[in-house]
Amino acid sequence: MEIVIALFFSTLRQATPLLLTALGGLFSERSGVVNIALEGMILFGAAAAAITVNRIEVATGGLEAFWIPWVGLLVGAIVGGLVGLIHAIATIKYRADQIVSGTAINIAALGAPSIVLQVLYNNTSTSQEVKNRLPLISFGSGEVSILVLIAFLLVPVVWWVLFKTPWGLRLRAVGEHPQAAETMGVNVIRMRYTAVILSGMLAGIAGAYLSIGFLNQFIRAMSAGAGFIALAALIFGKWHPLGVLGATLLFGFAQALAIQLQGGDILPATIVQALPFILTMLVLAGFIGRSRPPAAVGKPYDK
Amino acid sequence: MGRYLFLILGVIALALMMLSPWAVPMREFDGTGYLLNPLGIMNPKGLTLPEGLRFDWLGLFFGTWVSLLLAASVAVFLPNPETRARVLYILGGVGLALFALEAALFYQAITAVNDAALAAGARRPPLRRFALSLGAYAGLFYSLTLLLVARMQLPGGLAFLVGLRGVVVPVVSLLLAVVVGAVVVAILRPGLGTQGVEGLGLRELIAGKLDLVTYTFQILFSPILTLPGIFNSLAFATPLIFTGLAVAFGFRAGLFNIGAPGQLTIGALFAMLAGVYLPLPGWLLLPAAIVAAALGGALWGGIVGWLKARFGANEVINTIMMNYIAASVLLFMLAANEYSFFGNKVRLPFKAEGFEGRSEEIQEGGRIPLMINIFAPNSTFSWALPLAVVAALTVYYVTRRLELGKRLLAALVALVAGYVVGQVLPGIPVTISSALSSQLLNGSFLIAVLALLFYNFYLFRTAGGYELRATGLAPKAAEYAGVNLRRKIILTMIISGALAGLAATHYVLGAGMDGTYRLKTAIPSSVGFDGIAVALMGQNMPLGIFLSATLFGVLLAGGVSLNAQLGISNQIIQVLQALIILFIAVGGFLPRYFTDPLRAAQVETEAKAEQEARQAKSATVAGD
Repeated sequence: MEIVIALFFSTLRQATPLLLTALGGLFSERSGVVNIALEGMILFGAAAAAITVNRIEVATGGLEAFWIPWVGLLVGAIVGGLVGLIHAIATIKYRADQIVSGTAINIAALGAPSIVLQVLYNNTSTSQEVKNRLPLISFGSGEVSILVLIAFLLVPVVWWVLFKTPWGLRLRAVGEHPQAAETMGVNVIRMRYTAVILSGMLAGIAGAYLSIGFLNQFIRAMSAGAGFIALAALIFGKWHPLGVLGATLLFGFAQALAIQLQGGDILPATIVQALPFILTMLVLAGFIGRSRPPAAVGKPYDK
Repeated sequence: MGRYLFLILGVIALALMMLSPWAVPMREFDGTGYLLNPLGIMNPKGLTLPEGLRFDWLGLFFGTWVSLLLAASVAVFLPNPETRARVLYILGGVGLALFALEAALFYQAITAVNDAALAAGARRPPLRRFALSLGAYAGLFYSLTLLLVARMQLPGGLAFLVGLRGVVVPVVSLLLAVVVGAVVVAILRPGLGTQGVEGLGLRELIAGKLDLVTYTFQILFSPILTLPGIFNSLAFATPLIFTGLAVAFGFRAGLFNIGAPGQLTIGALFAMLAGVYLPLPGWLLLPAAIVAAALGGALWGGIVGWLKARFGANEVINTIMMNYIAASVLLFMLAANEYSFFGNKVRLPFKAEGFEGRSEEIQEGGRIPLMINIFAPNSTFSWALPLAVVAALTVYYVTRRLELGKRLLAALVALVAGYVVGQVLPGIPVTISSALSSQLLNGSFLIAVLALLFYNFYLFRTAGGYELRATGLAPKAAEYAGVNLRRKIILTMIISGALAGLAATHYVLGAGMDGTYRLKTAIPSSVGFDGIAVALMGQNMPLGIFLSATLFGVLLAGGVSLNAQLGISNQIIQVLQALIILFIAVGGFLPRYFTDPLRAAQVETEAKAEQEARQAKSATVAGD
C-alpha cells in the first residue's frame, strides 16, 4: 500500500512538468504553429528561475521569504515567453520552417545557460542550490509542490478557454483554416503570436517547477526530453485538454514507475530509464492514425 | 533606402575605427593587451613595449580612411549608375590596398623587433599574441562592402546577388550569428584587463569590450593559422561531415533526422563490438568494423523510417526518443559489469576494468591509423596515397565519355597502379613536430571524404537519388510519377542513419576522442545535433557540407583555447550554431527572393529580359 501511495504522488510530480508544457503546446499547435522548442523553453525557464532565486538570495544575504520563489517563477515564465516570442517572430513573421526554428532554440538551450553559469558560478553544468523553493502542500501522507495543484487546476481552465470562449473558438479556427478565420475578421497573426508566447510561458513555468520546485538547482539538460514527451502527449491526447491530462498522467506514471524500479533489483536502472521513451514511441505508433492534428499546423500563413 | 543603409554602415565603420583597437602588438596569456588606436593608446595594465617599436603611421591611415568614407558616402549619390559603380570600385580597391599596407607595416614592425631580440639572445620573442584588430578589420569589411555595392549599381546587380543565394544566405547568417555572439560575450564578460582597474573613461571601457570580442573570435578562428591547428580542426570536422551528411540526406527527402546522436551511439557500439570481439584477420577486421558502424546507425535510423512508413509516426519525435534510448543502451553496456534482472545476477563482459565507463581496446587490426602515419609513415613522406588519388581522379575524368562501370573500373586500376608506383618511389624525409603528431586526425577523415563523394554521386547521378530529391520537393508528384514513398522513406532513414553511424569510425576505430582505441560512455554524441547546423549552413550540398563542417571544426578547435585563455565556456560555439540555424531558417532576414526559388527565378528572368532589351536597343543604335 505504501508503495502505491508513493507511486501515486510520484506520478503527480512527474506528470506536472509534462502537463504544464503540453497545455502550453496545446495553444501553440491549436493556433497552427508546431512548437518543438518546448524542450528548450523549459530549460530556459528552469535556468532563469533558479538563477533569479539564487541572485536574490545572494543580494539579500540568504533571506528566506515566501515571495522569492514566486519571483523566480515569474522570471522563468517571462523568459519562456520571450523565447516563445523568438520562435513566433521566426515562424510567423519570417516564415521559417517551424521545426528548424524550434531545433535552433533547443540547441541554444543546451549551450546558453552554460555560458551564464560559467560567468556566475564558474561551472558549466549546475547552478548553486537555492534555499527558497516553491511551497509544498500536503495531502495525507504525501507532499507535492503547489505547482502540481495549479497544473491540474489549469486543465479545466484551458478546456473552458478553448471550447467555451469566443477567443478559444477563434484560436481553433486559426489553426484549422486561417484564411476563413481571417475573412471572419480574426487577426490570424496576432492569435498565433499570443498562442506561441503563451506556450513559451507555460513551458517556462514547467522549467521553474523543475529547478525550484521539484529540485533546488538548475542542471544542464535537466528537462531530459520532457518537452518532446509533452509533444507526444499532445498527439496521444488528440489535442484536447482532457486527453492531454490522461496522456501526461500515463507518461508521468511510466517515469514514476521507472524511479521506483531503479531502487530495487528488478531491472537495471539504465534500462528502466529508457522505458518512458520506448512507451512514447509505442503510443505514437499505435495512436497516430486515430489522432488528427489541426489542419493548418506547420504551415506558414500567407494572406 | 539602400543608400541610407549604406550611410549607416559608413557611420558604424567610422565609429569602430575611432573606438576599437586597430592593432595589438602584444598580449598577456589572459588576454590583457596593449591596444593601439589612432586617437590614443590604451594600456590598462601598463605593459611596456620594446624600444624602437613605433606606430606613428596609424594617424595618417586614419585620416585617409575618413576621407575614403566621406568620398564613398558622396559617391553613392552620383546620378549616373555607371560612374557610380566605377567610383565605388576604385574606392573599394583603394581600401583593400590600404588594409594590405597596414597589415604589412604592422607585421613587419613586429617581426623586426622579435627577430632583433632573438638575435640578441632572448629565449622567447618579446612580442606574443600580436594581431591586427577590429579597427583595421572595419576598413577591410567596409572595402569589401564597397565592391559589392559597386556591383549592385550595374545592371543585373540584384540578379547577380540572388544567383549566389546559396552562398549569400549562409554567409549573412554566419555574420549575424557572430555579431549576436559578440554582443553576448560583451555583456557577460568584462573588457580584457579592465577588471579592477580604477578610473577608466567610457571610451576605454568600450575599447576594452571591443577588444574582448575581437580577441574572442581571433582565438576561435586561430587554428587555421598553424598546421597542427588545421589538423586539429579537421579532426573535429570529421564527425561533423558524417552527421552533416546524415541530416542533409534526410532533408533532401523531406525528412528531418534529429536522431544522428543516437545513430552515432549505436554505430559506435556496433563498431566496438566488431573491433573488439570479431575473430578476423587484420585486413578483414577493419572493413568489418567500419561496416558494423554503418549498420548500427542504419538500424537505428531504419526503425524510425519503418515506423513512419508503416504508421505515419512523426520522425522528428521518434528520432529524439531514439537518442535517449541509445544513450541508455550505451550506459547499460558500458557503465557496469553486473546487473540484476528480477533478482538474478547477470554479468556483461563489455566494460573494461576501472572506474571509467569504457570498452576493451579495439584489436590492432581494427584500428584506423592517424593521418600523419598514413601520409608520412616513419617520418618519410610517402607518395603512395597522393599518387593513387591523383591517378584515379585523372583517369575518372579522362574517361568521361565511357559508360560508368568502365569508368569506375579504370579508375580503380589507376588507383592501385598509383599506389604501387608511389610505394616504389623514394619518399621525402620530413620532420614531424610533436604538436603535429599529437593531433587526433585519423584515416576516418578519408572515409568522410568518400562519404561526401557517395552523397554527391547517389543524389545527383543516380535514378534513386533523383527519386529521393523529387520526394523531398513534392512527395505527391513523386508518388504520382511512380515512386514508392514508403520504401523511399525507409531507405532514406537507413542511409541517413548509416552516415551518422560512420562518425563512430572517427571516435572508436580512429581513437579520435582522446587517443585511446576504446568506446567510452563519454562519447560526444551531441555532434549529431551539430550536424543540423552543418547541413543547413552547407545548404545540403556536398561542398557546402564539407566547408561548413570545416568551419565548425575550426571553431570547436578554437573553443578549447578560448576556454583555457579567457575562461569563456566553449558552449559559445553551440550558441553560435543555434543562432546560425535560426538565422538560416529565417532566410538571414533577407528579402524573400533570396529564399523562395520561384521569386528568385522571377528576379533572374526580369534581369535577363532587361539585359536583352538593352542589347536590342544598342543594336538599333548601332544600326542607325
